[in-house]
Amino acid sequence: MWWLKDVWVIDPSQNLSTPRDVLIKGGQILEIASSMTEKEVEAKAQGELVETVDGKGKFVFPGLIDVHTHLREPGQEEKEDILSGSRAAVRGGFTTILAMANTQPVIDNRALVEFVRLQGERAGYAHVLPIGTVTKGMQGGELAEMVDMKEGGAAAFSDDGRNIQNAEVLRLALEYAKLTGLPIISHCEDKDLAGEGQMRRGMSSARMGLKGIPSSAESVIVARDLLLAEETGGKLHLAHISTTESVELIRQAKARGVNVSAEVNPHHLIFCDEDITITDTAFKVNPPLGSQGDRESLIEGLRDGTLDMIATDHAPHTQAEKARPFAEAPFGIASLETALSAVWQHLVLPGRLSLDRVIEAWSYSPAQRFGLNGGTLKPGTSADMVLFDPDFSEVIDSAQLVSKARNTPFLGKTFQGFPVMVWVEGRLVQKNRTVL
Amino acid sequence: MKWQRKDILAIEDMSVEEIRHILHTAKVMKEILMRPIKKLPTLKGKSVVNLFYEASTRTRTSFEMAGKVLGADMTSIAVAQSSVSKGESLYDTARTIQAMRADLVILRHSSSGSAKFLADILDAGVINAGDGQHAHPTQALLDIFTMEEQLGDMDGKKVVIVGDVLHSRVARSNAWCLQKLGVDVTLVGPPTLVPVEMEGLGVKLTHDLDGALPGADVVMALRLQLERQKSGLFPSLREYSHLYGLTTERLKKTGKQSIVLHPGPMNRNVEISDDVADSVQALIERQVTNGVAIRMALIYLLIGGSSNVVA
Repeated sequence: MWWLKDVWVIDPSQNLSTPRDVLIKGGQILEIASSMTEKEVEAKAQGELVETVDGKGKFVFPGLIDVHTHLREPGQEEKEDILSGSRAAVRGGFTTILAMANTQPVIDNRALVEFVRLQGERAGYAHVLPIGTVTKGMQGGELAEMVDMKEGGAAAFSDDGRNIQNAEVLRLALEYAKLTGLPIISHCEDKDLAGEGQMRRGMSSARMGLKGIPSSAESVIVARDLLLAEETGGKLHLAHISTTESVELIRQAKARGVNVSAEVNPHHLIFCDEDITITDTAFKVNPPLGSQGDRESLIEGLRDGTLDMIATDHAPHTQAEKARPFAEAPFGIASLETALSAVWQHLVLPGRLSLDRVIEAWSYSPAQRFGLNGGTLKPGTSADMVLFDPDFSEVIDSAQLVSKARNTPFLGKTFQGFPVMVWVEGRLVQKNRTVL
Repeated sequence: MKWQRKDILAIEDMSVEEIRHILHTAKVMKEILMRPIKKLPTLKGKSVVNLFYEASTRTRTSFEMAGKVLGADMTSIAVAQSSVSKGESLYDTARTIQAMRADLVILRHSSSGSAKFLADILDAGVINAGDGQHAHPTQALLDIFTMEEQLGDMDGKKVVIVGDVLHSRVARSNAWCLQKLGVDVTLVGPPTLVPVEMEGLGVKLTHDLDGALPGADVVMALRLQLERQKSGLFPSLREYSHLYGLTTERLKKTGKQSIVLHPGPMNRNVEISDDVADSVQALIERQVTNGVAIRMALIYLLIGGSSNVVA
């Protein structure tokens, strides 16, 4: 049994943000109460060994849930695999991660869904939930067997990485997915407007002579998808929103009652296109880093609930792939291990976002929207939990990262504030930044 | 001044003093170049590698001649393509060249930022001979050298650059170089090729060539990549030429004996008419000669060490 003493508990599912004692027993949250005595705890332990953690000055909250990760298995294990990715997850404070379907082969049938789920169970760190494709072969044409994939454990459907360009296909998908109750996750990108762009179109791209991607490449598809969700009543989730226009479109759609949720990536909340230098491919990401104005709109959207959740879009690549001229390097930032600390450092400490909102948006909201276990510390629920130490300081060092990838703009930076203990189903899987 | 730089990557990060020093050195180099016997022992025993990932006859030859006049050993590597999927990566090629102990590498590559990428890896110096749409510093230097040779100090004078500005490393490098030297620069072309975000370069933008010409001391036409029409950036060569082609009649609108520059190779009767190209106002061949002098100056400054041709 675990006894966390005098720790600041944040649990949006119970409207808790206050110092408490937390007891974990039998893989579950046993009790959250104001200061307990040793005697009380011993009685509850019923003879079980009690491991005590002094929580003073630290936070405890539900394990983070990341609805957008690329674990690359099967097919691209040189970048990441389910074991390394789920280890990176718990190191970063995530106890549930959704694995995107754009692997090789793509996850477009039940057999593959079950494979990903099983690999996650074999790894035994974070819960790994597969996302199936919307269309067969992720070709944007015929619908994949969504009902069968749900039976196999799929948590959502997405052709992420490749937007469904044909509006009729998306309309049909939103209709058909009603049979599953699961959301369709849309990667909003008009392929013609994005062209061969390398970064957001603007003064920075013009100055460096890098081909630009206009913000409309995202927002015209956001508008289209919102209208289709409205017309069909389908359940839509918008991935990695990055522009002011998209935020405004979502705000209006929600006011009309459209069944839509949206996520934002930490890097879009922290960086903008002006931070990109011509050789630093760690900043090359899709959707590209927007303007300063976009960043402000995203923060505002997350604060007011227009953007429901934070998701990493963890996109690992090999060093050889990123050690190329900007235009030749692949898009993506590997972020599972650094995302929470980065958000703490760049947004919570300066007062832009409250920690309570961050935890809500990164655990409770995704659990609610995707119908997942977790995202709560209610007694009787599975103890997926994080202890966060705001004083723990660490250099983001290549040698310490457990992901196979090193493509993060935070490499070499020092952060203060890290998840220092992580439990999955009551089992301690990370302690003092070491994955157990 | 004491030369500090290992590489020449972009005009954007160079000081006026450095630019002046290069131009001054190039003047001496041009005198050497004009001699009947043009060969110096200055760089004997130095090896310079021309690494060209894009087809280029004039720039590659210009660097080759510049290096040879100074006595360096020139090796040319022409790589058919910088494909991601085929062949060796630029990173590995850089490591190979490093291992061969080259003193200087001249890089032409289709990716913006590739010259800086290479320079960050190599101990040897790097001269950017054009990286994607980003920079072409030697072209900008030979352009200002040519302008000043003809017109004297360019401070306060007016230069109009017309054409496919969006995709042009020549336009970008010229915009930086000319601004630093106090020149009034206007970039001209259709909105699809001169989009509003080019304002970030700090120069004037307009879509009206006739309106921009009055008072121009220099008019520079950029080479129009003919494949741009296929991607829909303008409807036809005919209409492009009608709006932005340099003709004798149009050139009169400057109201003075302006000079005409073109980085070459020209699309005659598209961006520049035959009669303008062959007129006395056009200094296009002079640009080629000056290009060799500028490149001599840069090679000398980067690997000339303590030898002093200039003093």
